[in-house]
Amino acid sequence: MKLAGAYTLPFPPERAYQLMQDPEVLARAIPGCEGLEKIGEDEYRMKMKMALASLSGAFEGKVKIADQAPPSSFRLLVEGAGKIGFVKGDGVLRLTANDAGTEVAYEGDAQVGGTIAAVGQRLIDGTAKMMTRRFFEKLAEEG
Amino acid sequence: MATTTTKPETLVGKRIRRREDPRLITGSATYVEDIKMPGMHYAVIVRSPHAAAKIRSIDTKKAAAAKSVVAVFTGKDTEGVGPVPCGASLPDLRVPHHHILATDRVYFVGHPVAVVVATDRYLARDAADLVEVDYQVLPAVADPEKALAKGAPAVHPEWPDNIAFNFHQDGGDYAKAAAEADVVVKQRITSQRLIPTAMETRGVVAEWRAADRQLNLYSSTQIPHLLRTLLAMMLGLEENRLRVVTPEVGGGFGSKLNVYAEEALMGFVAMKINKPVKWIETRRENFLTTIHGRGHVDYYEIAAKNDGTILGIKLKIIQDLGAYHQLLTPAIPTLSVLMMPGLYRTKNITADVVGVFTNCVPTDAYRGAGRPEATHGIERMVDILAAKLNMDPAEIRLKNFVLNEEFPFPTATGLIYDSGDYAAPLKKALGIVDYRKLRMEQAESRKQGKLMGIGIATYGEICAFGPSPATPAGGWESATVKIDPSGKVTVLTGASPHGQGEETTFAQIAADELGVDIDDILVLHGDTAIVQYGIGTFGSRGTAVGGTAVYFALQDLKAKIKKYGAMLLGSDDVSFSGGQVTCNKTGSTKSLQEIAGATYRAMQLPPNTEPGLQATTFWEPPNFTFPFGAHIVITDVERDTGAISIRRYVAVDDCGNILNPLIVDGQVHGGVAQGIGQALWEQAVYDDNGQLLTGELTDYVLPKAHMMPWIESSHTITPSPVNPLGVKGIGEAGTIGCSPAVVNSVVDALSPLGVQHIDMPMTPEKIWKLVKGGAA
Amino acid sequence: MIPQTFEYTAPATLDEALRLLAQGAKPLAGGMSLIPMMKLRLAAPDRLVDLGKLKDLSYIREEAGALRLGATTTHHEIESSPLVRGKCPLLAEAAGAIGDVQVRNMGTIGGSVAHADPSADYPAALQALEAKVVLKGAKSERTVAVADFFADAFTTSLAAGEIVREVVVPVEDSATGTSYRKLLQPASGFAIVGVAARLRRSGGKIAMARIGVTGLSNRSYRATAAEKALEGKAGSAAEIQNAAALVTEGADANSDLHASADYRRHLATVYAARALLAALARTA
Repeated sequence: MKLAGAYTLPFPPERAYQLMQDPEVLARAIPGCEGLEKIGEDEYRMKMKMALASLSGAFEGKVKIADQAPPSSFRLLVEGAGKIGFVKGDGVLRLTANDAGTEVAYEGDAQVGGTIAAVGQRLIDGTAKMMTRRFFEKLAEEG
Repeated sequence: MATTTTKPETLVGKRIRRREDPRLITGSATYVEDIKMPGMHYAVIVRSPHAAAKIRSIDTKKAAAAKSVVAVFTGKDTEGVGPVPCGASLPDLRVPHHHILATDRVYFVGHPVAVVVATDRYLARDAADLVEVDYQVLPAVADPEKALAKGAPAVHPEWPDNIAFNFHQDGGDYAKAAAEADVVVKQRITSQRLIPTAMETRGVVAEWRAADRQLNLYSSTQIPHLLRTLLAMMLGLEENRLRVVTPEVGGGFGSKLNVYAEEALMGFVAMKINKPVKWIETRRENFLTTIHGRGHVDYYEIAAKNDGTILGIKLKIIQDLGAYHQLLTPAIPTLSVLMMPGLYRTKNITADVVGVFTNCVPTDAYRGAGRPEATHGIERMVDILAAKLNMDPAEIRLKNFVLNEEFPFPTATGLIYDSGDYAAPLKKALGIVDYRKLRMEQAESRKQGKLMGIGIATYGEICAFGPSPATPAGGWESATVKIDPSGKVTVLTGASPHGQGEETTFAQIAADELGVDIDDILVLHGDTAIVQYGIGTFGSRGTAVGGTAVYFALQDLKAKIKKYGAMLLGSDDVSFSGGQVTCNKTGSTKSLQEIAGATYRAMQLPPNTEPGLQATTFWEPPNFTFPFGAHIVITDVERDTGAISIRRYVAVDDCGNILNPLIVDGQVHGGVAQGIGQALWEQAVYDDNGQLLTGELTDYVLPKAHMMPWIESSHTITPSPVNPLGVKGIGEAGTIGCSPAVVNSVVDALSPLGVQHIDMPMTPEKIWKLVKGGAA
Repeated sequence: MIPQTFEYTAPATLDEALRLLAQGAKPLAGGMSLIPMMKLRLAAPDRLVDLGKLKDLSYIREEAGALRLGATTTHHEIESSPLVRGKCPLLAEAAGAIGDVQVRNMGTIGGSVAHADPSADYPAALQALEAKVVLKGAKSERTVAVADFFADAFTTSLAAGEIVREVVVPVEDSATGTSYRKLLQPASGFAIVGVAARLRRSGGKIAMARIGVTGLSNRSYRATAAEKALEGKAGSAAEIQNAAALVTEGADANSDLHASADYRRHLATVYAARALLAALARTA
């Protein structure tokens, strides 16, 4: 599945970039994240609890940041697996200054597997959008 | 004591309600799930969530320690069990070793990895979540054309080209035909993966009686005897120590014409734990692990003269096999080749099949099995040719049909069509819809910008499998008819009907032959301890082969009845009818009941005659049968949404003699439903990573009753010379004739926009895009 | 299809139910969404509180120019109620468009609304009706407009421990015509796109237009741009088309196996036009 979109954060690219590299900030902003634990250079173990309507599930996975080119772009690799399935994402985030602060444009691929892929087709697109939006909204609050 | 009544009329040919229905529709039938045994254990299977992965390790400790759990088995434990068998043989076929549980690698989502056995089925399911499998995920390939591309992930590392087999067949000289042709039309035509979706999922109960050294295995299968033979081999058990029982089977459509890993696995578990064990497939498992159907990408070419005469057909089939061969997987596309000429006279064909491994569940026989693909292809191509030559699609078909005087007709693919009047159903169907008037109406509606389509498809199919040399497992069928001392009749059929209505049709045959009341006849099947060896029900063979076996057993029995009657009446000049033997001179009679009693009492025996009243026949058919027909579909396409509605569906089928029109109607309706399902809705969608996206009935669009048009079903009757009943088979005809008729209709509707072909399923969005953007 | 172990309670009173819900239990109404999710183990609540047995949550009452529908009133009861059919036909029409007979016999309006499935049928009608939802917690009760209630996919303004107690819809006058049209996803019966139209005509002009859309994006919404385009117009075919073309304004269309975002947007305009034409024909 292709993912693409853009959000505007109300601060300059340097600040936006810095926030998005900060594991504590990420832990607060990633919906359902219950903590990031450093396991390597720019690599973290993540525990996540997803709750969406009746759907709920615990995921464990990894977040890795690569190809850093501050303050304009970096690559984000996320993978998580739980009883209800697994998710893998690989995308590039590009930051450009605009009047309101910074536009963050993201583009990438996501793989979904397991029960959620098989029975959740109707929900995946909307859920991905919702979680992305929540992430950026939280990030915006970090100032 | 009741006496057998004289019957005033024959039952064959009458619309008799199915005797099996009351128990089925009142919920009182016994399916595998209904079997209860003291000490029953429950199995839950742990399956791979990945389409391709190495198994680094499996940790079963937590699961084994869970409450109620008795045992957990993995591939290491089952290494002694033989592989899941492939019954099809093709030259140089690559057959991957198909363990019943994965050992070091998984090949498709749903691949069984471990089995958890517990005394409580709920706790068994909980414990399955505790089995920890460490996978190293590998790249997967889910599309057969992508699997053939250079650099594609290898499904089986030992065969990096992903090719399981290449099959080639020539008939006549296609190259010459193409050289002489005025026109050659080409088209890529797909027949998508379908999920058979029997209402009852698979299920197995296995019970090991150690003291008797007897394994009783209950399975929802179409082939109890073949299953017994093959399971005995897998389990290393003497065949006569294995009893397979097929209770009620809630639909198969070919998906239960197989031997599955879980059947052997339950036998293995029962023998290990020495307790009965039950496994019932969930719908999720059914979608992921029971075979799928179709999965063709076909490249067609037809060479023809400007007057519409077809000179030759060229076909390349790319068959998506999935990760393994199930029982008949590689054989299915070869059936498409056999039927590629359809009803047409052309003697020049050339065909190539490439069987391709993908990281998906195997494909295998699904209603029609190879023939719907062939019919869809040829019937689409004939329409494309007609459009190219600006000919009427009915006219071009009539021009190319095999002629009545040419039967028995040897085809370019080596078959001998038994009998036919191919123009008859088409002409009848054209008459029913008033074709000329309909075309005028269409011309009118086109002027108003409306998209109305008229689709014609004619079909021929190969049925009544079949002469044994031409089938993988023997193509005969068996029947025993026994009459008790009280005169009651029991028919034991080796075919294993599961919804086809043969408890009724076979009783009709016996009632007529013996002149007894149908209620005095019991038809039994599906228990290897009760019924003589048989082959099973598939390939529209039940009545044509199994019914014929019943018929011949009855003839043997009738001869014996006459002998005893003659003896009891003291006359050589007797006749048998209406359930009694009559002395033609005196008119005195002996009832069947009196005669049956005498055969068992055996006070006196006719010369060279044994006591008892029982006869068994194993009938070997001399040829296949070839039903045919014509379907016409009228559709309306909504311009602004792409929605298709079927205004009229006319089916004229020739299945030879009709034993029970009600049952034949039912078969046509069910078949057409599945044909429309493929044409409009059904599609198993795998993503690039081998995840099945249509994993449940919320996304896999199965046709429902309210989505069906009214089906106007009628017949022409051309008896088959292959069997004395003159029947051909009707189980798959509806499906085979349907999908090309529907697609031809929608292509016809869109033809003013320059559309030549549409692949199935014809979803509204696909149609909307065509309407918006013009030609496909 | 076996769910994880859970505790099940069927309290006799609403207060008892709310007390249990305040402790973190999950409410069960008709079970048409929750039970399948549990069987697939996509949902694994520890405790279920069955609201379905609470008699005083199932009712349809007319009060002060409004219909009040108790949360556990089934879709079938709404679809077949002479009161709803007569006084708020749009809601009855939407109820009749849900799933299949079995689902309509079991599923409830409160359960559906609280679940906030982005493809559910009710939300389109409730948006067009400017309906209100009464939310009840152990110690509170509040009334929220549906426009504020539906927040996102499967997300509402329900607070923890709160349930939907009641749905309130207006009693229509005879000058108002309504219609709900959907393209259904044939496997699930959900709306690929569904549009509810509600028009009041006065003096040959459209005095009020309300359009609710479901299925297109993560949340149902009112197509206000399209509504504005219609108000004050006579309702000619061209005016309807122009308005219909505006229903997707501001919506972020979703895409799935059954329909791409482009197709969904297009369908929204087609079904909006159909719903508007049908509604217009029903105005007095």
